[in-house]
Amino acid sequence: MAMEGEELISDQEKVRIVSDFILHSPPGEFNEVFNDVRGLVNNDALLKEGTCWAFALYNKEQTLPVKIENSEYPVLITQFNDLGSSRFYDPRSKQSFKFDHLRKEPSNYENWEPDSETEAWRSVFETEFTSYTSLHYKHGTCSVFAKQEGSSTVITACIEDHEFQAKNFWNGRWRSQWTLTVGPTNIDVFGFLRIHVHYYENGNVQLVASKEIKESVALTTEAVKEVLKIAEDAENEYQIAITENYQTMSETTFKALRRQLPVTRTKIDWNKIVSYSIAKEFKTQ
Amino acid sequence: MSDIQMDCALDLMRRLPPQKIEKHLSDLIDLVPSLCEDLLSSVDQPLKIVRDKQVGKDFLLCDYNRDGDSYRSPWSNTYFPPLDDGAVPTEKLRKLEMDANMAFDQYREMYFEGGVSSVYLWDLDQGFAGVILIKKVGDGSKKVRGTWDSIHVVEVQEKNTGRNAHYKLTSTVMLWLQTNKAVSGSMSLAGSLTRQTEMDSPVSDSSPHIANIGRMVEDMENKMRNTLNEVYFGKTCDIMNGLRSVVPLNADDENKEALRQDLTAALQKRHTKSDAKDPTNPTSN
Repeated sequence: MAMEGEELISDQEKVRIVSDFILHSPPGEFNEVFNDVRGLVNNDALLKEGTCWAFALYNKEQTLPVKIENSEYPVLITQFNDLGSSRFYDPRSKQSFKFDHLRKEPSNYENWEPDSETEAWRSVFETEFTSYTSLHYKHGTCSVFAKQEGSSTVITACIEDHEFQAKNFWNGRWRSQWTLTVGPTNIDVFGFLRIHVHYYENGNVQLVASKEIKESVALTTEAVKEVLKIAEDAENEYQIAITENYQTMSETTFKALRRQLPVTRTKIDWNKIVSYSIAKEFKTQ
Repeated sequence: MSDIQMDCALDLMRRLPPQKIEKHLSDLIDLVPSLCEDLLSSVDQPLKIVRDKQVGKDFLLCDYNRDGDSYRSPWSNTYFPPLDDGAVPTEKLRKLEMDANMAFDQYREMYFEGGVSSVYLWDLDQGFAGVILIKKVGDGSKKVRGTWDSIHVVEVQEKNTGRNAHYKLTSTVMLWLQTNKAVSGSMSLAGSLTRQTEMDSPVSDSSPHIANIGRMVEDMENKMRNTLNEVYFGKTCDIMNGLRSVVPLNADDENKEALRQDLTAALQKRHTKSDAKDPTNPTSN
């Protein structure tokens, strides 16, 4: 740790620290964290030049939903639809756009052609996952992407739901990512579920949770339905398990850390404790 | 400028996940070394334990018992690592400090049934101040690891030649709960709360300082425990369950409750199975 006025760190080290802060912003609090680091660093040029990669990475990690032109459905900003040079594509509306990671605004729309080899699988899963999202997420957004990897088609379905209530001091985000590798005989299913909740009314309490799921289904005519069933069951099971953990923590862990009252079920008689302490002290002397 | 920087730094610490508070604080100090002293005195960190080798008893470290790189033990009044000219309280205050340590050691045993406590006192112009530290690390039962840290700073202003006193208490509780189970993945719930209270009280043999402070600390900690358990943790769980719905959103009200019960029962069975063969937790304790 540096002491006052000495051991000033390099610009490179400043950028590393600031980027780390930005990447740890709770959901919906990027702007507040950005303004804080701006006030701390007091060097907008360094901040913009050095940490713009972190803005982009943060948005992709958060799977930020963005409203776009010519589509009633928003698209998620992710690592899977990143075309480079700050451009992303929406496979649903078949267009690409430039994305300003700081203002979170899309612009410069262009047509985008899907890959003919993977599009059939992609659009089937898009229909199914979109319908699934609307059944389990109140304000959920779903985007489904595809790529060819050797002889396998890899589909990634991303689901995002968030609720930001800064005026009530809380924000939360749920992210699901289902990677489906369609091979010659099987579909390998890999799920990655993440929850981040921040409640900060006169305090700072955060839930950070994640789980990975691995399954496989035979490539039959029922395979798509089976994949969706796996996703639905796994997400339900996960959500219920987290809720049950809360109960265990409240009933068992909390009690084991600190009791509500001593075993006597009454508050402490401090006068007794003080005189006892003094007596004990005399004895040991 | 420095005031703005301090505001930014404190806002940042209220937003970044408490799970990584030590790293974020040390990075923050590297970034703005001029805030070092202010930050160390206003941002609470997890308490560290050191063994007092003279009496064979653990004590807790904080800024108030630090001199250079050494820390004074409240049990033997000596510094670890050894320091020849380390600051120690006046004889009169040390006497009170010893009584306070005895008293809060009993308080800790009655409420925490384990853990470590330490009390440090120092002189003020008209009275004295002190810090009461308690740390308890859970035993990991039900596969949930937990840690509780309490930091109570109390300022005592003596009035009317010591027959009355004004007490000002600032309490921080930090809590970490963590679990890694097959069914719920990795889940971390962490938080810190700070609360203040003030009180005037007569001081006499039947109502000594330690008893007055003890009652204040006990009331405050009881309140904060309930607030953390019921308000903060309950709230983050509700927020999580608001993001996703286990029961399909299109189910009508009658079906919803039935569905929810079916799901919970079905998943309960699976939990028991998957927990039994959970490879990451061979002992269920």
